Order: sequence, then C-alpha cells, then structure tokens
Amino acid sequence: MENTAFNIEYKPRTGSEAMCEALLDEGVEYLFGYPGGAIMPFYDALPDYPLKHVLVRHEQAAAHAADGYARATGQVGVVVATSGPGATNIVTGLATAQMDSVPLVAITGQVGRGALGKDSFQETDVMGMTLPFTKHSFLVEDPDELYPTMRRAFDIARSGRPGPVLIDVPKDVQFAACEHDVYRRLQETTPPVTGPALEAAALLLRKAKRPLILAGHGVTLSGAERELQLLAERMDIPVVTTLLGISAFPEDHPLYLGWPGMHGQASVNRAIDKSDALLAVGMRFDDRITGAIDRFARDAKVIHIDIDPSELGKVVKPAIGIAADAKAALRGILGYVEDSGERGDYGAWREELAESQKPEKRREEAAREKYGPIRIMGAIKDAAGENVRLVTDVGQHQMWAAQFFEFTKKNSLITSGGLGTMGFALPAAMGVAFAYPEEPVWVVAGDGGFQMNVQELATIRDFGLNIKVAVLNNGYLGMVRQWQQFFHNRRYSQTPITGPNYEELTAAYGLSGKTVREGDDVEDAVRWAQETPGCVILDFHIDPEANVYPMIPSGMSVNEMIEENDARG
Amino acid sequence: MTPEARAKTKPTLPETASAVEVRITGGIYALNRFLMTLQSKRIPVAGLTVGGNTKAMLVNVLIDSPPETARRYATLLGALEDVEELRTADETLGVALLKPEGDGWRKSAAKMGIETHEDGGTVVASGSPEVLESWLSEIGNGEITRLGTVARPGEEV
Repeated sequence: MENTAFNIEYKPRTGSEAMCEALLDEGVEYLFGYPGGAIMPFYDALPDYPLKHVLVRHEQAAAHAADGYARATGQVGVVVATSGPGATNIVTGLATAQMDSVPLVAITGQVGRGALGKDSFQETDVMGMTLPFTKHSFLVEDPDELYPTMRRAFDIARSGRPGPVLIDVPKDVQFAACEHDVYRRLQETTPPVTGPALEAAALLLRKAKRPLILAGHGVTLSGAERELQLLAERMDIPVVTTLLGISAFPEDHPLYLGWPGMHGQASVNRAIDKSDALLAVGMRFDDRITGAIDRFARDAKVIHIDIDPSELGKVVKPAIGIAADAKAALRGILGYVEDSGERGDYGAWREELAESQKPEKRREEAAREKYGPIRIMGAIKDAAGENVRLVTDVGQHQMWAAQFFEFTKKNSLITSGGLGTMGFALPAAMGVAFAYPEEPVWVVAGDGGFQMNVQELATIRDFGLNIKVAVLNNGYLGMVRQWQQFFHNRRYSQTPITGPNYEELTAAYGLSGKTVREGDDVEDAVRWAQETPGCVILDFHIDPEANVYPMIPSGMSVNEMIEENDARG
Repeated sequence: MTPEARAKTKPTLPETASAVEVRITGGIYALNRFLMTLQSKRIPVAGLTVGGNTKAMLVNVLIDSPPETARRYATLLGALEDVEELRTADETLGVALLKPEGDGWRKSAAKMGIETHEDGGTVVASGSPEVLESWLSEIGNGEITRLGTVARPGEEV
C-alpha cells in the first residue's frame, strides 16, 4: 500500500513485528532463546529491532538465564523457544521461576493454526503442559491480539506475586498482518493494608520478650530491604532469613543471626523455637524451614505478611495475617513504631542468642583454617569484594555457600530455592552477568549440577562474559550421598559420579581453568581466577564425604536436628 | 428404585463443606487451568458442577474444609487470571431435576420448604441438600436426576 501524500510505502505490520514492538515498549533489552521452525518468523523480524538476543546452547539454559536476569534486576526476563522440543525444554525453567516467584515471559512458537491438534511435526500442547506452574498462559490465534497479549503478559508476570507467563504463538499468526491493536494497561491491584492489623503487629512485637523477624524473598522482590533494616534497628529485633531471603539483610549487621531450616544454622533453628513473636515477611513457610509443622515455633505468635493472600494460613496459622506488599506493610508497621516512640528492650534475648551462636562460630573459625568449602567461600569473598554476586547450583555447595559466604550486598545471592533445580547456576549466572557486566559474578556449583548445563560455556565464551566458576568436586552427587550415609546405611546407590578434566574442558572452549587440591593455595587460585579476564573455572577437589551440618531429617523438628558433634559421636 | 438403592446413591454432604461459585472466561484452557489448580493445590473437592455458555462458564465447587481454609482456597482460585468473578456461598443448595408422577409432590414440597418450578414437564427442585434428599426419598417415584450441590451467590472474594 502506498501513501501518495507522503510518498512512502506503508508496510502492514506482521504478528512478529507486533511481538518485537511489544518487547521494545516493555523496555526489554535482552532475550534468551534458541530458534526453530515454528518461531522462525519472529526470528526473521528480530534483527530489525534494537533487541539483544542471546543464543544459548539449550532452551533450558535460556529459561534459567532469563530467570537469573530477572532475579538480579527485578525486571521481567524473556525466553524464546520454538514449538515441540524447544517448548518442552523450557519447562524446568518455568517451574523453577514459578516456585521462586520470578517474573518471566516465555514466548514459544507453535505449529500453524491449521495444523493444531493434528499431531503435527513438533507440535506439543505447551500450554496444557505448563498449566500447573505458570502464573498464566496464552495461545494467541489472532494476530491483532498479539501486541496487547504480550503487554498483558508482562503486566501479569510482574504484578502482585510475580511469576512466569507463557505466550504460545502459531507460526502463521507470526506471519499474518495485523490490522488493529488496542492495549489497556492493567490496573495493578495491591491488596489494601489495613491500619488495625499493622498497629496490632507493632503492638505484638513491642509486647514480646523474644521477638524475631523472618525475612523471605518477598523482601527482595518488593525492594523492602531498607524498611526491613529500619524496623529491625528501631525495635532492636534480631533478623533471620529464608534461603531466598539471604542478602535481604546485611550479614555483617549485629542484628543478623543467619538462616534456619533443614540445613540452616542450628542456633537459628533454636532461636525460632524459643521466640515468642515471629514477624514473617515475604515468605511462605516452606517445609524446609518448618520441619514438623506442629512443633514449629510453638511459643511464637506469628505475624505473617505476604502479597499473596492465599499464603496466609496455608502452613502456619498466623495470629495476625497481612496480605500486602512487603515494603508497604513494613512501612506501615514502622509508622506505628515511630508514633509510639517505644523501643524494644531485648538485651537479655540478644545475649542468649549470641551465646547460642558461639560454638558454631568457633567451629567455623577452625574450618576456615583448613582446606575445604568454608575456606573456599572466604577466599572468593576476599578476592571478589563487596560487590560480588554469587549464583549457586543446588546441593551441598549451595548450603555451604548460604551458610559461610558473607552476603553484605543486597540481592547478591541468586539460587534456586523452591524447585531446587540442578543445572541452574551456570545459565542463571549468564543472565546476571548480562545485567551487571561490570560487577563480579561467581558461580558455586557441584560437579553433578555443573555438568547439567556445561554446554553454556560456549555461550559464555561467545559473549565474553566475565563469570568465575568454583566447582566443588567431590566425585559424588553429594547431598544425596550424605542422606544415603545417614538414612540408607551408607549404601551409595548411583551417587558416585565422574566428570571431565575441567582444565582440558575449559581449554577446549577457549577458556581458562585450574585444578585445586588439598595442599594447594586456595587464596592464590581464587585471586588468579578473579584477575584473569573472561570466564575461569576452578575445579576444587574436596573431601568426598564432607557433610553439611546441621541436618533436620524430613518431617522432623529442631529437637531431632543432627549437628556436627552428634554425627562424630 | 428401591429405598435401599436410593440410600446408596444418596449424596452425602460433608459437614464442613463450603461452596463457591466461579465465573470463568477463556474457554477450555481456562477451565483446564482451574481444574488443574484444584488438583495441584490439593484442594479437597466434595462436589463440582460446570455449566455455562460460549461466553463464560459457571463452576460450582464444594470445598470440604473448614470455612477459614475454604476462604483461603477461594482467594487462591479468585486470583486466577481467567476467573471473572468468584463468590463464596451464603447458602449451599441441592438441586434436582425430576419428572414426578401425579401432583402430590407440590404439597409436600411446600411443606418441606423445597423451592420448585416447572420447565416443560421437568420440575427443578432446590433446597437444603439434606432436606431435598429427604423430600426426594419421600416422593420416591418418577425419574430423578440430581444435579448436585450448588452455591447461592453470597460474598464476592
């Protein structure tokens, strides 16, 4: 069609172009993806737009990379895949994001509308497949609906409790011309924070003798770190975090105790057990935190703040339940605390807690002198500095990192908590490195999980990402082996695992690597990695039977906790 | 049907059941997501009916849990994008379609507080599930189709 008045050719917009425009209008900078037959029209349009595409080596990695990007920035991560196997490969990434409330938009190509439902080549019902672990999903069959649907998907992904949204687009819809687009931004509806509940929460905390704050991922998601610290300081209340809440409160702060749970610090588990008021904010009482629910924090009156009202009372019945954004609710409570002018007097409680931590601190100090995971964590922190962002995989190393790496920068631990996805760390770190190219990014992984997405070293090399990797190599699927040791009479069924020579592997990818064994200089190796440009892998050979302590057996309580001294008899 | 057989088919209404009425748009995927949520969140469903038209579906769910838990489940379901409207029930009703013989049913229905109306020879009867069951047993003749329990719209979540 020609516009004669201005002598320009008007090119009708295609579905693919509408998709790219929606991404631009949402402020998207990076897409992580992998092309294929059913998504080719989108990839054909992509070079015409200022969108940066990261070609991964496996679609699962694309989903984790988008997840890492989203966790690090607070923005919506975007993953693109084709139909069929491309779509099925992102499933683990979507489930990981759903469990940890990470905003993600996944765009999948689909077979053409005429081929739908006919078992066509590379056809899968990705919408049906992902219904249980997406916040929402769309199959867009009208090209005019593409732009508004894309915008709506972003709104849904980031609003309220964030989560992944899938958009499945048949190939012919991507090709088709659009005629109209109408978009109305959704009104974000934050549940109202009622005054009386906040005032009651402030009062309950003031009256308590042994209060604790238990902060979760919701604090990071809502950017409420400052409010959390202010409230803790104003009231002098000690703070513990969930695994995903780590780095929502500075770990070098005198009010910080640590994190509880199955492999959390024993003293923190005991602190919760003894507390008489527990302010739980932005967390969902995961079974890894509570253990036996009937014996969890029995003496505590629980104040539970969560943006998802369906979380209130799901596991722990709160004395006060507040369905609200963590930042808004903490501000509200702070207001009542300031109005009252009272400050808590919890000196005796804090002394008791400090005393209970002394044996752990002594053990930690001793362990830092010896070759092993604890020393490695300290060396990384020392070499990488305050700005380091640590991305972990899942297993023993994850627990060691959470316990012994001192996180002082907010949102500096990126880890798969809810789903516990092995293979998460390396691709997620790519997302973090794209978000913060100037800041140090370290991966800590086990030798099992690292091999699950090791192919992404090629992506890392292509983009020159400055990611440093510490593989804690014990020749086992370590956490499973540990549980076999304790609960299956040391029957190490299918947990010994081999791997490549990492020095040769890194060389094959054009990267640098080094093997570190007992007797080698850990600090020197870590410094070398930090100072060497580009991606470096350090393969730390550690004690094959090193264990994570404490451990609370599944479904048990803090009273059944196994500590290091118990295990050694 | 013998009284024994009727007793066997008599639906039992859990004492703690709470009913919610949900209006869903988005077609079969939306209904699928709704059902999947009931399944994946292990929501204890004691009864479920689906009706509607091409524009929307009406789903009545009877949740077998204490009211407080049912409210939490209702909140969770109400947050689904496809759910246009969700109401918890002020009152749970049993509904049955029947083609009774004779005319005696009118008097007994009025006596027991069963609401009825006729639609082309079919009688639509509704009332408290227990009372409705008792009444159906009493009239005990003709063709009876129980539609299950439904919620009378109450508070919007």
